[in-house]
Amino acid sequence: MPSDQSHPVLAISGLEHRYAHEPIPAIKVPELTLQPAQQLVLTGSSGSGKSTLLHLIAGLMDPTAGTILVSGTNPHQLRGHTRDRFRGRTLGMVFQTHHLLMGFSAEENVMAALMFSDIPRGAHGARSRALLDSLGITTPTRRVEQLSIGQQQRVAIARALACDPALVLADEPTASLDPDNAEVALDLLQQACRSSGAALLCVTHDRRFLDRFDRAEHLLAPHEQLQKAGGA
Amino acid sequence: MAMSDWNIVTRSMRHRFFSSVVTILSVAIAVGLVTLLISMRDAGENSFKRGTGNVQMLISKEPGPLPSVLNSMFYAQAPGNPITWAQYLELKRSYPFAWSVPTQLGDSYKDAPVMGTDESFFNDFQPVQGLSWSLDQGAYFAAPFEVVVGSDAAARLGLSLGDEINLEHGAPRTEGGHTHDQFAFRVVGILSPTHTAHDRAIFTPLESSWILHAHDRREAIFGHGIVTTGEDLVADDMKITAIYASLGERKAALTQVLSALRRDPNWTVANPADSVGGLFQIVSNIDQILLAMAIAVMLSSGVSILLALYNSMEQRKRQIAVLRVLGASRTRVFGLVLTESALIGLIGGGVGVLLALAGGLLVTKVLAQRVGIVVEPALPIDGYLIIVLASVAISCVAGAIPAMVAYRTSVVRALQPSG
Repeated sequence: MPSDQSHPVLAISGLEHRYAHEPIPAIKVPELTLQPAQQLVLTGSSGSGKSTLLHLIAGLMDPTAGTILVSGTNPHQLRGHTRDRFRGRTLGMVFQTHHLLMGFSAEENVMAALMFSDIPRGAHGARSRALLDSLGITTPTRRVEQLSIGQQQRVAIARALACDPALVLADEPTASLDPDNAEVALDLLQQACRSSGAALLCVTHDRRFLDRFDRAEHLLAPHEQLQKAGGA
Repeated sequence: MAMSDWNIVTRSMRHRFFSSVVTILSVAIAVGLVTLLISMRDAGENSFKRGTGNVQMLISKEPGPLPSVLNSMFYAQAPGNPITWAQYLELKRSYPFAWSVPTQLGDSYKDAPVMGTDESFFNDFQPVQGLSWSLDQGAYFAAPFEVVVGSDAAARLGLSLGDEINLEHGAPRTEGGHTHDQFAFRVVGILSPTHTAHDRAIFTPLESSWILHAHDRREAIFGHGIVTTGEDLVADDMKITAIYASLGERKAALTQVLSALRRDPNWTVANPADSVGGLFQIVSNIDQILLAMAIAVMLSSGVSILLALYNSMEQRKRQIAVLRVLGASRTRVFGLVLTESALIGLIGGGVGVLLALAGGLLVTKVLAQRVGIVVEPALPIDGYLIIVLASVAISCVAGAIPAMVAYRTSVVRALQPSG
């Protein structure tokens, strides 16, 4: 989905999310903006709410306060299948453990994402193979469980980019890889996003890769924000 | 080929191959049982009615109409109370029968019952309404000690034209029967199949049967080694066990004749078709119990679908969550699980109908061999369709709970890294 250049890809303001029966919020993000094709890395300690933030952006959870705009649309104002369709067409997600569909081939995993897009069905196969090929997967018909961890990560990247998303959300994409493979995977993810024009929001606690991104932000857990405010 | 919901459903079933096959089989067995029972219900009654042919009245001295029909038309046992030839002739004179056939049962060859009768059995009696006897080979009997063999008896006992056989006194499998070695009966004809109980019987002139009994009587008086012929017959030897009769087209007189005969304590008169109907009325309670059991089995197969899918939901939650992230709506994942459930019902229903058809063929074969009647369990095509649709509907109901689990799956929780 080509990004709308008149809007930031992501605009967050006054975001807060509190789980039921929890006294303090799980996450607080006063302001965060991401421009089209921009690549942002978000670091933070465990429990700072990095994954929760991604789930909120993807519309998988509703915030208790604040707004999130993705390409100018607030996904939390969309209901039911409209929100699901919006997510499928606007966002790509890459997970730490890939979350591929086991029992399906690499190509089918990518095509699974295309099922929910507007791209004509006849083009799904060629598009999937081209994407996988560009990421170095030359055996697209092999089942994903027969691929190495590194190859599985590439399939996950291809799947995230299959519908030309405006924004790719990557949740600890290198956490399950050894340092060499982590670097390769991140290279591929960043290059693929650049080629497709998608913005990238990558959350990690690995600080080695900060320099590779256009911007780096550090997410403080709400209690850290309180301590910081108290110290100031 | 692009991915579709169908791919996801079928791959998911293949991924849990053993569980899917077992669930499908349980549905198939249940559907097979129900189908077979339903199709047997009508087929059994029709087949029995078919065996009574064009007989309007079966007259005997049996204790009741039903045993009379079962013994004299379906060869269940040798009838016990004989009718003298004089009584038969008197009866013929007293009522306006269009035709009447004297029959006598009490002898056998191996496990085939032997009926003594006359040529009117082949001329007037139709084993199936509107279908006269026909010969596959040879000719009808024309003299004593000639036999005409039913198609099934000929095939089973390996009898062919010209063979000579010795009859046993007593019905098949009767204790204390003895073989009449002195009298060789020659096979002169083999009948075409009628798919009735008559196919497993052997037919001979009444006189032959009477001579066998006269011989026993005379042996008791004169000892072994005597020769008995038709000349030696006395009135007491000339007995029959039942009379097949019809008034032909004079159906209006039938009620009168039936009630007149029923008033006479000397006779037992049965309307064979009514007696068969009565028999099926008696067994209909058992039939309903069997049907209820089959429906219970079908419902239990629905429960097995529910359990199989429900148990698989734990390992499929992640797959469902991934599909949700990719853009699938809750309704769509609900539909995926429901489709899988319906597919199990459809395949199970289809296989079940095939099992029922195969089982029906087996039942047909066994009944034809053992009882000599052809019960062809069959339903009209829309009957099978309704059964398969019912199987799909029950499966969908059973799949609704796991589908609801899929619908309510928390994507966030399901995507949390495990371990």
